Amino acid sequence: MNAKSPTLPPIPAKTGPGRKRSPGPVPAWGLKLGGVLTTLAVFLGSFGYAGAHLYVTNAPLRPATVARVATTDASTASATAVPSTANTTTTTLTSAVRTTTRSAVTVTKSS
Amino acid sequence: MDLVFWEIARASGLAAYAALCISVLSGVAPRTQALSFLAHNRAVRALHDWTPWIVIPAALTHIVALLLDATARIGVLDVLVPFLTSYGQLAIGLGTISFDLLIVVLVTTWMRRRLSNNAWQWWHRVSYLGFVTMFLHSMLSGTDLTSPVIAALSWASAIGIGYYALERLGRALNPARIRA
Repeated sequence: MNAKSPTLPPIPAKTGPGRKRSPGPVPAWGLKLGGVLTTLAVFLGSFGYAGAHLYVTNAPLRPATVARVATTDASTASATAVPSTANTTTTTLTSAVRTTTRSAVTVTKSS
Repeated sequence: MDLVFWEIARASGLAAYAALCISVLSGVAPRTQALSFLAHNRAVRALHDWTPWIVIPAALTHIVALLLDATARIGVLDVLVPFLTSYGQLAIGLGTISFDLLIVVLVTTWMRRRLSNNAWQWWHRVSYLGFVTMFLHSMLSGTDLTSPVIAALSWASAIGIGYYALERLGRALNPARIRA
């Protein structure tokens, strides 16, 4: 080999195929623990929030529960209208409130 | 009992979203210019490789709780096939798609040694689509996203991931900047 031939510079360790990864200031188990704790914190925090706000009036999704309520309370509710395609009979709505001759307990003010 | 399942479903949905944010961020951030100093950090890479162990339990808890909640009326088929539900077809269907994509990414990752590196990378990029569909699912169907605090946190994490994803895409489309 000619002594005057140019020699290539060594491949930097950071870009070469045998590059080494540094462990970093935080060990891997620390980051994993952080990930678990973050997820758990979100779960527990959300669980507490959901428990405190069970019924959200402006929730985007509200599955229909009319049919389910109607089937369970059909014997007690006399004025529940159930939309049904199979039943063609006419639904009669009757008032369940009865008047009384007793004296009033509370007073309702009207303007 | 339905109310307990309903609470668990809501909480685990947000937990799954948080876990997926950690997974995507730990995967994309070290490959961006802003956080390139993390590129050779073994711990961050180890965290990214390990995150399925927090994403999967959270997602499965969310799905099982909804299956057990009679009010939600979610069937087994709805878990895998989108747009079959009797209500909220788009909102719930996007969640189904994100779950399907999560399965695809996880299976191809576990089959990585059998795939070429190029093929595996393309399959792994599906995770971006999975995150977008999960974000839209949470925005369109998330009951707790009506809370300003939770909505702000969700949007902030999504914007952060979107920023890093776009930056990485820009670097990929402009190789001259990588050499510089």
